[in-house]
Parts: sequence; C-alpha cells; structure tokens
Amino acid sequence: MSAATLTPPGTAAPARAGVPWTRLVGVELRKQVDTRAGRWLLALVVLVDVALVALYLWAADEAPGWSALTEASSAGQLLLLPLIGVLAATSEWSQRTALTTFALEPRRTRVHGAKAAAGIVLALGITVATLAVAAVATLVGGALHDGAGSWSLDGALLGGLALALVLLVLQGLGFGLALLSTPAAIVAYLALPTVWSLVSALVPALRDPADWLDMSGPLTGLMSGSLTGDGWAQLGTSTLLWVGVPLAVGLWRTARRDVA
Amino acid sequence: MIEIAHLTKRYGSTTVLDDVSFTAAPGRVTGFLGPNGAGKSTTMRVLCGLATASSGTATVAGRRLRDVPNPGRTVGVLLDASAQHAGRSGREVLTLSARLMGLAPGRVAACLDLVGLTAAEADARTRTYSLGMRQRLGLAHALLGEPDALVLDEPANGLDPAGIRWMRDLLRAYADGGGTVLLSSHLLREVEAVADDLVLIGRGRVLAHGTTADLLSAPGTEVRSLDDGALAGALIAAGHDVRPLDDGGLSTSASAEAVGRHALDARVVLLDLRPARSAGLEDLFFTLTAGSAREEVAA
Ligand SMILES: Nc1ncnc2c1ncn2[C@@H]1O[C@H](COP(=O)(O)OP(=O)(O)OP(=O)(O)O)[C@@H](O)[C@H]1O
Ligand SMILES: [Mg+2]
Repeated sequence: MSAATLTPPGTAAPARAGVPWTRLVGVELRKQVDTRAGRWLLALVVLVDVALVALYLWAADEAPGWSALTEASSAGQLLLLPLIGVLAATSEWSQRTALTTFALEPRRTRVHGAKAAAGIVLALGITVATLAVAAVATLVGGALHDGAGSWSLDGALLGGLALALVLLVLQGLGFGLALLSTPAAIVAYLALPTVWSLVSALVPALRDPADWLDMSGPLTGLMSGSLTGDGWAQLGTSTLLWVGVPLAVGLWRTARRDVA
Repeated sequence: MIEIAHLTKRYGSTTVLDDVSFTAAPGRVTGFLGPNGAGKSTTMRVLCGLATASSGTATVAGRRLRDVPNPGRTVGVLLDASAQHAGRSGREVLTLSARLMGLAPGRVAACLDLVGLTAAEADARTRTYSLGMRQRLGLAHALLGEPDALVLDEPANGLDPAGIRWMRDLLRAYADGGGTVLLSSHLLREVEAVADDLVLIGRGRVLAHGTTADLLSAPGTEVRSLDDGALAGALIAAGHDVRPLDDGGLSTSASAEAVGRHALDARVVLLDLRPARSAGLEDLFFTLTAGSAREEVAA
C-alpha cells in the first residue's frame, strides 16, 4: 500500500461540480464500443450495408447513382439500428453494471438521455460509412456499366436518413428500457409492428387507422427522401406509438426502480 | 458522516427494514453485522440511491446521495463485486468510471497498483477473474474517486489471508485519515479487529449499536482466592451474582473494589483479581441474533 495514492479525505477537489452531460455522453459512447458485443454489432450493420449495396449494384441494368445506392442499404438499418439502442439500455441491467452507473450518476433519465445521444452519434457514424460504401459502389458501377452514375445527393434524402436513424435508435432504447431484456426487446420491436400490419390486413375495419399507426411505410419514405404531407403526418402518429410510448414507459419504469 | 434515520423499506407486504437508525462517524470504521437476509445490503442500496425507502432517510454529510453532484467523489461504493460487465477488462471498468468522475488520468493505474492487480490481470476481461480479483477490482473502484466515505458490502469475502490483512490496514489508514467507513461482513474476527463501532441488525431491526469496546466489554470481575467457597458466600450475601469459572475461580458482577473489601472482611487471601474477560464478538453476535438467526446455534 502506498501512502501517495491513499489520499486522506477532504484533500480532494473542494468544488464538487456535477458531471457535465457531454462527459456522460462520452462515457456512454465508450461503453457502446468497448466490448466485443458492441463492436460486432457495429461491424454487422456496416457489413449488411455493404451486402445490400453490392446486391443492388449487381442487379442494376445501368450505372446506379450515389443516392440510389445509399437508399438501397436502408432496409438493413431499419432492422439493425434499433439494436444499438436496445443493447445500450439492456446491457446495464443484464450485466448488472447499473449498480455502478447509477451510484455515480443517480439522475437516471439523464443517463438514458446520454445513451440516446451516444447511440445517435454511432448511427451517424454508420450513415457516413454507408455513404462511403455507396460512393465506392457508384465508382464501381460506373466502371461496370460504362457511364458514370449520378453523384447528386439531395438534402431531403440526407435529412431523412438522419431523422430516421434518430428515431430508430430511440425506438430501440425505448423497447430496451421498457422490457430490460435484450431478446424480449428485439422480438418486440421486430414482431409487434409486423403483427400489427398482419392484423390490420385481416380486419378491414382496421385498415384505415392502420396507415396512421404503421411506422415502416413512412420510415421507408423518410429514408428515401420522398415523404409527402400525409406521409409526414403518418410518421408523426406512428412514431408516437412505436417510439414515444415505449420510451415513456421505459424511462418511467427505470427512473425509480430498485437496482439490485 | 453517514446517517441512517428511521429507515423503513417494504417489498409488498414484507418489511425488510423496520425503523433502522444509526450513524457511521468520520475517522471511524463502523462494522455492520447481521445474519443472512437481515437487511444490510438493502440499507446500503438505499444509502447509495439505488433503492427507494418506504420512509426514513439515509444521508452522507447531511445530503441524500441522489442530491449530491458527482457522488463518486463523496462516497466510494462496493456493493457487489460480481456486478461487472463480463466483457470489459478491469482497467476499462475503472477507466469508464474515472472519466465519468473527471479524474486525473493516472488515477486508474494508481488504484490498480494499490489493490495489487498486475497489469496483465488488469487487461484481462473480468469474466476470467477469480472472486478475490473481482473483490480487489471492486475495492479499487470504491477508492477511485478519493471519496470521503466508503460503503463496502462484504469486501473481505473471497480475499486471501494476505488480502484480508491488507484490507484491514487499508481501512484503518483510511479512517485514521478522517474517512468514514461502513463495512458489512460475516467475518466476525476481521470486524472485531478493525471496527471502532458496531451496528448489529436482525430481521430489519437494529439490535445493538455502539463502540466495539463498549459492546464487547463484560461488566464485572474474575477472582481467584485460597477459599473460593467463603468468598462466594460473602459476595452472594451482599447481593452480587457469582458463578464458578470452568478453570477454577469465580466470575462475579461485583466490582474489583467490592470483591477486595469482602475478601478483607472474610479474611480470604486473593490470588488473582481482574476485569471479566470480554465476551468476544462471536458470543455477542449469537446472543443478540438468537431470535433472528436461521439456524439453531448453541451459543
Ligand atoms: N427485490 C426484492 N424483493 C423482495 N424482497 C427482497 C428484495 N431484495 C431483498 N429482499 C429481501 O430483503 C431481505 C434483506 O436482504 P439483504 O440483501 O438486505 O440482506 P443482507 O443483510 O445483505 O443479507 P446477506 O448477509 O445474505 O447479504 C431479505 O429477506 C430479502 O429476501
Ligand atoms: Mg448482503
């Protein structure tokens, strides 16, 4: 035992400032990439992106444009980006690190906000990677098909992609916090909207309201930058159900729950 | 200063903590004892803001930990050494917390060094750690933020003999430097050796609270003489309790002075006169928790 490191109490920094939120976000970001599970998830998302872009390129008759190739990967993101949120929420409870996390920052909703922000930063990184993959594919496509694909990339597409990834990460975080179990949350966010689509397809009376509560339609539109007025409204209502409700339930459930 | 005041905690209809009150003072090590399920960990979880009390308060330096900014700098906590992400290295676990608390970069290495984890061990993932290594990592984590108080739930559990002695010295030095230590343990000898104060709890109620010296000191005197029979008669006649000792001699509730006077009056020659032997923490523990223990233990 060395005396130098066992500082007597009271000599530590006298001014006890709170933990700045940016620092919290930085730590949460690190937590999402410092385990093999976390790194594999990110690698998986990028790999699926690459596969989807390659598939689109292979099937195309002429040199595809950058934006078309970028769009081609959105199906994978729709499926996988919520996983980032789910894992950020559930691993604290399944690995019982919540005991440490909330002892160091008792304002739990603030921690969850930082997790959301960190997840969004990661999703942004994935989008940049996707754009890069699509750019390479554009070059390859040009070479394959004799004639360069279009390099135009409109703001609606980029903005739509960005908003979609925010929503997807929040959706995953919401399901993760509400259920606090990785498998349950994954099954729920994958199955519930699908079950809802099936039910509404079978019951004619539900068909009209179903459009307002189905998220995948407007989300796909958003990610291709082609959302219309009605589509925006439907995005709003369905987001409230599939992102807002689980998030509210999850934040409420974890805010005062006993950590053991 | 850690202050637990009228703490009550219910899970549904079961009352786990029932009006628990005690304090742990700065500069002292407070041992927190009780049978399994007595409520020690629950009290500590409430103190750390991880569980919500049904009523009552648990404060450090007069504030609930939930209201303290950057609480890791105020209280170092080790509640469960196995509650670590299995896929992170020990160094990474400490680094995350050090960043969160805003500590100087060298602090992680210093704490690893302090608890005796080698660089190779620190870089291994915690799923490979032995119980004692987890416990050491947990202690490093509790000390990381140079806190004013330590809350340790069974920290000696799993430590090797050298580790136990090392921890005893560490807690002693920490308390002597002005720190507050609240320490739960089932290793009674260890607690007896290091704790200045004791809190005994059983089935959610405080059974005893005081300094170790007071709680363990037995009132009365032990005496040996050339005629124990005559001396016993004189003491009993004067209204004192007298009990023969197994190895000869008497144990009595009378003070040393009273025994001396009665011996003088009865003209009995004394061979040995001393304060009664302390009962020992194990005896005290079994006596107090007899009603709340799980097993029948012959005290
Ligand atoms: N989440 C919970 N729901 C219901 N009862 C609980 C819960 N957590 C703890 N308890 C009960 O609270 C009581 C006290 O448990 P606690 O863990 O505080 O005991 P302890 O004194 O730390 O025991 P040990 O020496 O075994 O660690 C136990 O009877 C336990 O069953
Ligand atoms: Mg316990």
